[in-house]
Amino acid sequence: MSLQNSFLKLRRDFNRWSWSTLLLLAIIAIPVITIFIKLFDGPGESWGHISKVLLVDYLTNSFWLAVFCTFFTLLFVVSTAWLVTRYEFPLRKHLEWMLIIPLAVPGYIMAYAYAGFLDYGGGVSQVVHWLGVENFKLDIMNVYGLSFVLSISLFSYVYVSTRAFFLTQAVNLLEASRMLGTSERTSFFKLILPLARPAIIAGLILVLMEVLNDYGAAQYFGVNTFTTGIFRSWFSLEEPETAIYLSALLLVLIFSLILIEKWQRRKMQFSSAKISRITTSNRLVLSNFGQFVILFWVLLPVVLGFIIPLYQLLVWASKTFEMVFDDGFFWLSFQSFGIAFITAIFTVLFALLLLYFSKWNKIYHIQNAAKLGILGYAIPGAVVAIGIMIPTLFIDKWMIEKGIATKFIINGTLIALVYAYVVRFLAVAYQPLESSALKVNTSIPDSSKVLGMGNFKTFFKIEFPLIKAGMLSAFILVFIDTLKELPLTLILKPYHINTLAVKAFEYASDEMVMHAAIPSLFIILTAVIPVIFLNKLLLQHG
Amino acid sequence: MKKLLFLACFTLLLASCEENTSKDEKQEVNIYTHRHYESDQELFKLFEEETGIQVNVINASADELIQKMVLEGAQSPADVLITVDAGRLFRAKEKELLQSVSSSFLDSIVPTHLKDEQNQWFALTKRARVVAYAKERVDPSEIISYENLVNEEWKGKLLLRSSSNIYNQSLMASIIANNGEEAASLWAKALAGNMARSPKGNDRDQVIAVAKEEGDLAVVNTYYIGKMLQSNDKTELESAQKVGIYFPNQDDRGTHINISGAGVAKYAPNKENATAFIEFLLSEKAQAIFSSSNFEYPVNEAVEMADLLKQWGEFKEDKLSLNKLGEFNKRAVILFDEAGWK
Repeated sequence: MSLQNSFLKLRRDFNRWSWSTLLLLAIIAIPVITIFIKLFDGPGESWGHISKVLLVDYLTNSFWLAVFCTFFTLLFVVSTAWLVTRYEFPLRKHLEWMLIIPLAVPGYIMAYAYAGFLDYGGGVSQVVHWLGVENFKLDIMNVYGLSFVLSISLFSYVYVSTRAFFLTQAVNLLEASRMLGTSERTSFFKLILPLARPAIIAGLILVLMEVLNDYGAAQYFGVNTFTTGIFRSWFSLEEPETAIYLSALLLVLIFSLILIEKWQRRKMQFSSAKISRITTSNRLVLSNFGQFVILFWVLLPVVLGFIIPLYQLLVWASKTFEMVFDDGFFWLSFQSFGIAFITAIFTVLFALLLLYFSKWNKIYHIQNAAKLGILGYAIPGAVVAIGIMIPTLFIDKWMIEKGIATKFIINGTLIALVYAYVVRFLAVAYQPLESSALKVNTSIPDSSKVLGMGNFKTFFKIEFPLIKAGMLSAFILVFIDTLKELPLTLILKPYHINTLAVKAFEYASDEMVMHAAIPSLFIILTAVIPVIFLNKLLLQHG
Repeated sequence: MKKLLFLACFTLLLASCEENTSKDEKQEVNIYTHRHYESDQELFKLFEEETGIQVNVINASADELIQKMVLEGAQSPADVLITVDAGRLFRAKEKELLQSVSSSFLDSIVPTHLKDEQNQWFALTKRARVVAYAKERVDPSEIISYENLVNEEWKGKLLLRSSSNIYNQSLMASIIANNGEEAASLWAKALAGNMARSPKGNDRDQVIAVAKEEGDLAVVNTYYIGKMLQSNDKTELESAQKVGIYFPNQDDRGTHINISGAGVAKYAPNKENATAFIEFLLSEKAQAIFSSSNFEYPVNEAVEMADLLKQWGEFKEDKLSLNKLGEFNKRAVILFDEAGWK
C-alpha cells in the first residue's frame, strides 16, 4: 500500500471516537508520556556504574520474583476461583469475600507481619518453644520469601477477574459441554480454562506490574530488584533523571509484554452470546470427603493471605492499643473511605470511556495506543508523582502568571491527588473491564447499530448489563488499592487530608512496626464492608 | 451512574473550595518534613498553641520533597524543609532551594560544626551511630573503632543493614572524608567480608539478631535502642537489654554523628514564621521533648539530656564538617556497590 493510500485510509477511518480516544489518552497518559519522553534525555552519569555493577543482580531478582509470583497465582488462585464458583461446600459464602481482603493489606505491612510471625518470639516460634525448641526462626527475608509475601498480598487480582468470568460465562458453556458427554474435568481443562485466558492474564498483568514496582517489602527483605535500583539512583546516587530513565525502561518492557500478549491472542474469539449465572441450584455438591478437600484447598490462600496476617496484626495491636488508638481513627477511616470511593468512581468511568471510545474508533494503532493509558500502574508511585507534577505544575504556574489564580489550584488540592490516583489505577479498572468486554459477542452490538441505534444507546441497552460484573470487580479493586496507596498520597496530598495508609507508614518508617498494626487493621476494616456488599451485588448481577 | 458521578464531582468541588477559602487570612507555616516521629506532632501542636501560627505538614522522604520543591520552583508553598540527615540538606542547598537566615538566637545556640556556613540550615538533633555488642560475649574494649571492625576476630560476627540506608551512607562518607577514598574502599570490602549474614531488616532487627546470637556486633543508631528499651514487645525489650552500647573512635576523631536538621526554603511565602518555627524547635522546651521522647541528643546544650542518654554517658563526637557527608554521599554509595555491600 502506498503512503498516499494509507493516508487516505487514515482520513476515512478517523472518526470522532478517534478524537475522543486521543483526548482521553492525553488526559490520562500525559504523566506516563512525560516519563516516556525522558527516555530520550538519557540517564545521568551514574548509569555506567549501575549497568556495570548492579543491573544484572537487579534484573535477575526481578525476573525470579515475576516467575515465582506467576506460578503461585496460577496454581492456587485460578483453581480456587473455580472451586468457589462451581462447588458448594461449608463456609463458601464467607471464603468468597475473604479471598479479596488480602489486597487491602499494604505489601510492606504483609512483609513485616510475616517476618514478625516467623521471627524470634513470633507465633511460630512460640509454638515451637512449647515443643521444646529454643530460639526458632524461619528466615523468609530473601527472594523466595519476598515472592511468597507479594504473591499472597496480590493474588486477589487474578481471583477477582477470573471469578467474574466464571460467574457470568462458564455455566452454560459447561452445561453444553457436559450434555455432549464430556467429563467435568475435561470440560474444565479443555474448555473453561482456555476461555478464561483473557481474564486470568488481565489479573496476572496487574500482579506482575505491582510485583515489579514493589519497594517497601523488597527493601525490608534486603532483596535488590529493578525498583530498588530506581530508588537507589534517585535517593542514594542523587540522580532523579536516572531513576526516571530506569522507570521508562520498565515501561517499555511491560508495554511490549502487553502487546505481545495481545498479538498472540489476536485470532481468538472469546465472545459468548449469552450470559448466565451460577446459582446455588446449579453448584455441584460433592461427597463429604470431596467437600473437605475443596474446603482445605480454598482455606489455604485465605489462611495465608488473611488469617495469619490478621492474627499477627491483632497481636501487635493488643500491645500498642493504648499508645496508638484514639477516636481520630474513625475520622481517618472516613476520609480514606471517601477518597477511595471518589477515586474508584472516576477511575472506572475513565477506564470505561477509554475502552469504548477506542473500540468505536476504527484505527488499529489508536486501539493499541489506548493501552498506554494503563502503564501508570507499572511505575513506582513516587515516579508517577513526578510525571503528575510536571504537567500540572505547568498549568498551575501558567494560571498564576496570567492572573487567573493566586496560588496553585491543582497541586496541593484533592484534584491533583485524585488525578494521580486515576492515572495510577487506571490499569486496575481497565484490565477486568476489558476482559469482560471481550466476552460480549460483537454480533449483538453490531446488529443493534445496523438497526440504527447509536453507540451510546447500544452501550447502555446491550453492553452495559453484560459488563456489569466486570465494572463491579473493577470498582472493588480500585477502591481497595486506593485505600492502601502510599507514595502518591504522601507527595501530593493536601495538608489537611490524612489517610490510614499514611498513618501506618508514619509508624512503620520510624521502625515502629507494631504501632502500625492498628492503622493497618483499620484499613482492612474499612475495606471489608464495601467488599462484602459489592460481592453480594456481583453475585446478583452476574 | 450519573447521580453517582454528580455526587463525586460535587464532593470534590466542595472539598477543594473548603481547602482554598478557610486559610486565606490565617498565619501559617508550611513544613516539608522527612521526620515522622510522634514527638514532632506533639511539637507542632505546641507551636500552634504558643504562636497561633497554623502548621501545615507534608510528610515524605527528603529526596521526594526536594524533587517537589525543584518542580514547584519560585511558587513553591514550602517554608521549611526538615531532613533526617545532613547530606540531604547539603543537596537542597546545592540545588539552591534554601536561603540564609539571620537569627541571633540560632547563632548563639547552634555550634558552628552543626550548621551551614551561610546559615542556610541548622541541626535540630544529633544521632550517634554506635556499635551495639552482645554483653555476654564481647569485651567492649576490643571494639575500639569503626576501622577495627574489619579485624579477623569479628569475621562472621558483624550485623549491618543495607547500604541503601542513609545512616550507613553517612558513616561511609565520614570514613572517606577522614581516611581517604582508597582506605574507605578497602574498609567497606573487609566489612562486607565480616558480615554474619546478608544485609536485611532495619536497625532494630540487627539488635535482635545480636541478642539471638546470629552475630556479636551491630552498627546502629542510639535512639532505636532507647525506643526498644521502652517497647511493650518482649523480644524487643529483652534484646535491647542484652546489648551494650560502645562509642567507637574515642581515642582519635570521635564517634560518627549525623543530624536531623532544618532550613528555610528559598521562596518561603512565610519566611518570618519559618524562622520562628526553627527557633522554636531549638528552644529548650522543644529540645527536651526531642531528647526525652525520641532519645535523640539535643543540639541546645542548655537542655538536660534524657536519663537514658545520661546513663550511656558523655562521648567525644567526630567534629567533621557535616557538609562532607553530603559531598561524599554519592561516592560512598558507589564504593558500597563495588564492595558488594548490598
